[in-house]
Parts: sequence; structure tokens; C-alpha cells
Amino acid sequence: MSGSVPAVVLVVDDELAMRRFLRASLGSHGFRVVEAATAAEAIAAATGHNPELILLDLGLPDGDGVALTRSLREWSRVPIIVVSARGDDADKVQALDAGADDYLTKPFSVQELLARMRVALRHAAAAGVTALEPVIQIGALTVDLGRRQVLSGGQEVHLTPIEFRLLAVLARNAGRMLTHRQILTEVWGAARGNETHTVRVHMANLRRKIERDPARPRLLLTEPGVGYRLREA
Amino acid sequence: MVRLGVLRYARTALYVALATAAAWSARSLLALEDLVAVYLLVIMIVAVRHGRGPAVAAAGLSVVAYDVFFIAPHYTFYVADQRHLLTFAIMFAVGLVISQLALLGKAAALRAETEEIRSSLLSAVSHDLRTPLAAITGAGTALRGDDAALAPAERAELIDTIVEEAERLERLVANLLDMTRVQSGTLVVKREWVPVDELVGSALARVEARLEGRVVTTDVPPLPLVAVDPTLFEHAFVNLLENALKHTPRGTPIDIAARRAGDTVEIEVADRGPGLPAGAPEALFEKFARGAPATTPGVGLGLPISRGIARAHGGDVVAQRRAGGGASFLVTLPVAAGAPEVAET
Repeated sequence: MSGSVPAVVLVVDDELAMRRFLRASLGSHGFRVVEAATAAEAIAAATGHNPELILLDLGLPDGDGVALTRSLREWSRVPIIVVSARGDDADKVQALDAGADDYLTKPFSVQELLARMRVALRHAAAAGVTALEPVIQIGALTVDLGRRQVLSGGQEVHLTPIEFRLLAVLARNAGRMLTHRQILTEVWGAARGNETHTVRVHMANLRRKIERDPARPRLLLTEPGVGYRLREA
Repeated sequence: MVRLGVLRYARTALYVALATAAAWSARSLLALEDLVAVYLLVIMIVAVRHGRGPAVAAAGLSVVAYDVFFIAPHYTFYVADQRHLLTFAIMFAVGLVISQLALLGKAAALRAETEEIRSSLLSAVSHDLRTPLAAITGAGTALRGDDAALAPAERAELIDTIVEEAERLERLVANLLDMTRVQSGTLVVKREWVPVDELVGSALARVEARLEGRVVTTDVPPLPLVAVDPTLFEHAFVNLLENALKHTPRGTPIDIAARRAGDTVEIEVADRGPGLPAGAPEALFEKFARGAPATTPGVGLGLPISRGIARAHGGDVVAQRRAGGGASFLVTLPVAAGAPEVAET
């Protein structure tokens, strides 16, 4: 960020201690932090400051963060990372399905936060560009979207069409959290219902093909009750 | 529960019948007022032992038995002397009051018991809360008061202390919440069909940072899908893994194996540590029990939570001595009927 115009991050959290910690740590990493303590302030700040990223705590005193995500998404594509307390899986999934880009569970480290922010900002920047890189490299895994080819440590991996589509969706969103529903819609089309086990079974098969130890995955990470994330390069 | 309820009423009827038989055989010795006292005694006993409903029933039955057997004309419901009707009313009313009192007494006893559990929990937990808090406060104030007096290595150590102790607090609070949910029966199990390797994998990922280079082997063949709440089950496994990390020396291996055994799927977390402590392995699953002498951090909630979660799924967790040394914790889960078929394409 040195020398460039600092990116504006809107921090929405009713806890002063959290805002203070975020202001200090994001400020020292070259971001300009705008704060909001309520949903109403958040809407005002989102329109007034035009932030590049929103960090949104789901537990707000004057309204729920899921509804706020939904109303922000009506007019803005700004990346939203939701922050929630442990155990609120339902809220997290709802917020992601409502259009949030990623989530963090409290407590989290600054390193985790910055990593998620980097991924969200990069995907937001790439969204305007038409053609994404056709070849995605993650560790020893190569996913060639154009040639529909997958290599693991240089060796070609034979995937079924479903497995390839699954891996392609995850690879295009590398580093990002995808909910079961998002994956179902992307891979099988919106007609499918709530069949999360379908995703799970194909994911297990895919892991057997590209992970060295499928019971200890290094690439295809599970967020139980929420979805999956392909590790970043 | 329904059968238990019927049983209570059957017992109530039996008590009233016994009292009637006893009173009948002693009727030449007793005045009518004494008989009323006998019935009141029965109502009181029923109220204390079986609660309100049976007590009300006992009051009603007593009035009927008293009328039929002891009030002229005998063996009929007819009452010649109208004054006895007042006795009946009073008997019944006293029965109701007694049953209400019994109910209040029971509730008070339950409250006292809950209070006792709560205070023992508080005393056990407050120590484990204060220790990390003291370390965090200490390290934080040392850093705040520091005027370049601390060497870089010392600063780094203080910062590590703050982060690690805060993480420890977080785990403790999470465990306490889980324990409360498991105990109060408010655990909501949202079952989904999940592959076993995914359950093992997500739990391993959660403890990855604390493995510190230990060798972890996994032996998870393709198994039937299990119907579990994936979030809860991750907690159950994480607790078993943390238990192994806590109670075995650094660098010793952890072996995870899953297999099918009849109508169950078994998942084993085994270590090569000092093994189970002397005594019954079941004692490990009691709240606030700790295997090793209490030098290891933790409050002893991990294993009971794991078991509580497994049992909420119709399964269990048991501890075993491992052949060749070490301990093994075995999670069993029933293979549920109706696992969905997933098309290949």
C-alpha cells in the first residue's frame, strides 16, 4: 500500500474494544478505517465514504447484519466480510448466501483478517475483468480451466465432469468461503434443493484424487456446517 | 414416560386400598376421626413420593373408600348423615393443599441441588479463568510500562503469553458453553449426511497449529455416510484430539482409524502416551475429572462433552487401554438407515 492512496475499510461493530483493535491494526497496514457502531450508521457510512471493503459484525444493537448485508447488496458490490461469534453458523450461512464474501469467527488474529481481506479485495478487482487467468496454480495442484485439465505434482488427474466443475468453481474463488448452497447452484444449477450431502460426497471423491491424505486435507478445507474453501496459492 | 405415569396412579390406588384394609381390620378400635387421619397420612405419602396428580387422585379415592366402607349405610355411595359430606369436602381440600406443599418442597430441593452444582462449577472454573487472566494482565502491563527496558526476546515472549493465554480462555469458555448445552438437554442436533473422512479432516485442521510436528496417521477407508451434526461432531473430535495433545509427551504420534463394525461406524483416536490412569476409565468422563495429576491445564470438560455429543447422536465414546502402550478413545456411531445415493455424474 506504500505510496498509493489508502484503501478505505468500513468497520461495523458496536464493541468499542473491537473497533479500537481494528483501527490500530488496519491503520498500521495502510488502510484508512471508517467506523460505524450501528446498522443505521453503517448505511450512512457506506454511502458517504464509498469504502473498498466492509467488515461487518453480525450482532448489531439496532438490526441484524444479515438484513444489512442484503440491503447493501441491493446497490453495491463492495466486498463484505462478516464477523460473528462462535456457534452462529446459521447467521454466517445466511449472510454468505445474502451476498457476503467471506466470514471470520471471533476471536481471530490480525494475520487471518488481513489474509481474508486480501482475497476479497483481489476478487473484487478481478470481477471487472472479463477473462480470469485460465490456469490456476495452488501448491502442487494445477487447474487449467481452458483445457479442462488438472495436474497434481505434474501428473494428470482424471476427474469426472462433476468433479471438474466442482474444482473449477473452488479454484476461481480460491481462498474464499463458498457455502454448500452456492456450490450447488454453481455446479448443478439452481434447480437443486437442499442436498448438501451431494456436495459432500463429490468433495470426498475429489479429495481422494487430489489430496495426499484425504482425511487430512491441505487444499480443500472444510468449514463444518458452512461450506468449503480452496486454499490460496 | 406414559407407562411410568400409569404406574404412579396404580401405586396410589394400592396405597389407598391398603390403608382401607388396615382401617377395616382395626375399625372396632378406631373412631371415624382416626380413620380420616389414616387417609390424610396416605395422601401425604403419595404427594411426597409421586407428586401432584397422584395426590389429587389419592384424595378422591380416599373420600370414596371412606364413604363406601365406613359411613352408614355401608357399601353404598349414599350418605345418611349429611354432616359427613363436610368431612369429605375437608378431606379432599386437605389432600389438595398437601399435594401443593409437596410440589413446592420438591422444587425447592431441585433448586438447592442446581445451586450446589453451579457453585462447584464456579469454584472449579474461576481458578482456570483467573490463571490466564493474570498472565494476560501481567504481560500487558509489563509491555505498557516498558521504556525500552525489555530485550526484544522478552517482548516477544510477553506477546506470545498474551496470545496463547487468550486462546486458552477462548477454549475454556467454548467448552463451558458446550457443557451447559449438553447438560441442559438444549443441544439442537442438525443431522446431515456426512462422509467420515470429512469429519476427521475438519477436526484435524482445527488443531493443526498445536500439533507441533507430531506424526498423525489417518486410516479412513470409504465408509457409509453418517447422519450427524457436522459442527457438533467437529467439537467432539477436537476435544478428543486436544485430550491426546494435552496428556501425551510432545512428539509422540496420534493415530486415527475408522472402520465399520456391524451396525456401527467406529472412529478411534489413539496415542502412545502414559495410558489411562489407574481406576475405572469411566471416571474420565465425569465433569472436572482429570487423568493426570492436575498439572496439565484444563478443567476436565473435554471428554464429557465429546461423550455428550456422541450420545445425542445415539452413539458413545469410551476409553480403552491401547495394546502396546497408550490410550485409545473410541467413538461409535450407529449406521443410520436411508443414507442417500449420490449419482456419479
